[in-house]
Amino acid sequence: MAGRLHSFTAVIRNFTRNVSTSKVSGSEIRHVSQASAPLILDEKFDNARNVVAAREAWVETLDANTSEVGMIALHPDVFAVCPRMDIIHENVVWQRKYKMVSKAHTKTKPEVRGGGRKPWPQKGTGRARHSSIRSPLWVGGGVTHGPRAFTTQFYMLPIVTRIHGLTSTLSVKFAQDDLKIVESLQMASDEPGYIEKLCENRQWGPSVLFVDDTDLMPRNITIATDTIQHMNLMPVYGLNVYSMLKHSTLVLTVDAVRRLEERILYHLNRPDLHKENATPFNKQN
Amino acid sequence: MTTVAGSLMRSLGAVAQGMVQATPVALRGVSQGLAARATPTSATWTPQVTSVRHRYHADKLNRGPLMKNYGFEDRLHTKGLMPHVVHGKRLPIPVYRPKNGWAEKRALFGQNDYIDILGDGSLKPTDVSYSVPYWLRGFKGNEYQMLLRKRKFFHAEMGKYQPTKLTELNKRIRKLYVHLNQKTKDYYWRKA
Repeated sequence: MAGRLHSFTAVIRNFTRNVSTSKVSGSEIRHVSQASAPLILDEKFDNARNVVAAREAWVETLDANTSEVGMIALHPDVFAVCPRMDIIHENVVWQRKYKMVSKAHTKTKPEVRGGGRKPWPQKGTGRARHSSIRSPLWVGGGVTHGPRAFTTQFYMLPIVTRIHGLTSTLSVKFAQDDLKIVESLQMASDEPGYIEKLCENRQWGPSVLFVDDTDLMPRNITIATDTIQHMNLMPVYGLNVYSMLKHSTLVLTVDAVRRLEERILYHLNRPDLHKENATPFNKQN
Repeated sequence: MTTVAGSLMRSLGAVAQGMVQATPVALRGVSQGLAARATPTSATWTPQVTSVRHRYHADKLNRGPLMKNYGFEDRLHTKGLMPHVVHGKRLPIPVYRPKNGWAEKRALFGQNDYIDILGDGSLKPTDVSYSVPYWLRGFKGNEYQMLLRKRKFFHAEMGKYQPTKLTELNKRIRKLYVHLNQKTKDYYWRKA
């Protein structure tokens, strides 16, 4: 596996030496202007725990005329994890529930208007004995064990489960060809039709999520995707399992990929992760 | 009197005889042949007998059905199509209005839930859950605990602007305390 990888990169390196004079290393990012030589971002992941080889993906641009600009190596601990469906499910359920506030509310017997007087005497009428018209036995009476307002379902998943949720979902996206790497989110035009046509030509699913390392996205793509509801922009810190599953295609910039890898590997390899794992919110009983 | 009547009768009789002798009358119920045989035939007078055929059934039909219940107005529909009672009324089902699955809040649902992992670590998901009321962020509990938390946050404000509501809150807290600690077993703490 490693030998095959080395030979492939050696071939590409020879090609670049013949074409351009500049030395291309793994960490340097070239500008779009140098379109002649391909962009090779092959990093040697020495800290990888995963036995499988690093994954490789094409690097594209948001330019309708160019197809591929280069190739990037993806860390196996982030993008080549054996996906755990149950962990992905746990993450989605957690995302839905932990912010939920149920405002469903029913009135109990003393809260319902009226019902202070005894409707008829205890004995002599032949009817059942009652003390109030708002008891739970009566129509229009109070509800005994009904929902009470502001019920929350807050809980936190262990940090390891959330990290594995992210890595599993990213691996799934990559394995199913729904992960596209892009050099940057620079676009030639700010027309919504331009990006729609681009996505249609490249068969980038009906809904697309563009992720970059910054909060402030380039002008053209911001204007183009503003009116399109199913194409959304997100910074790296906003990425989450639910959004990745909601949008068919995930488009990451090279900066976003490297940032993701750095953050996830930092958490996976830090020695005090077990302290972070302990939930600070006490469970009752 | 007798003389007048008698004279009248005689005169009428004379007239009748004259009439009979002058024109033979078609007698009811007597056929032509029979009449011809009965009356004496003479060379000069041949009585004309016309027969009558009674069509009792046809006459009855012509008179039409026997009128019964005179003046009674029958308000039933006895023929024709069944009438529509209410035109075009739909069943009481609400009109289906599908939700926009790609509205902004739904398209970007879950954003920043992993900000403590993918960000620099200074922010937690509870710090950025802006959709949750601030006194409920990062909180889970039963109704009693929730009301205690609400009182802790709002007793000053409620005391100034919503005193009745604060009184009701205190009453409810007291009632729940008694219920959970004196009336029920410990496991009801989770449900309450």
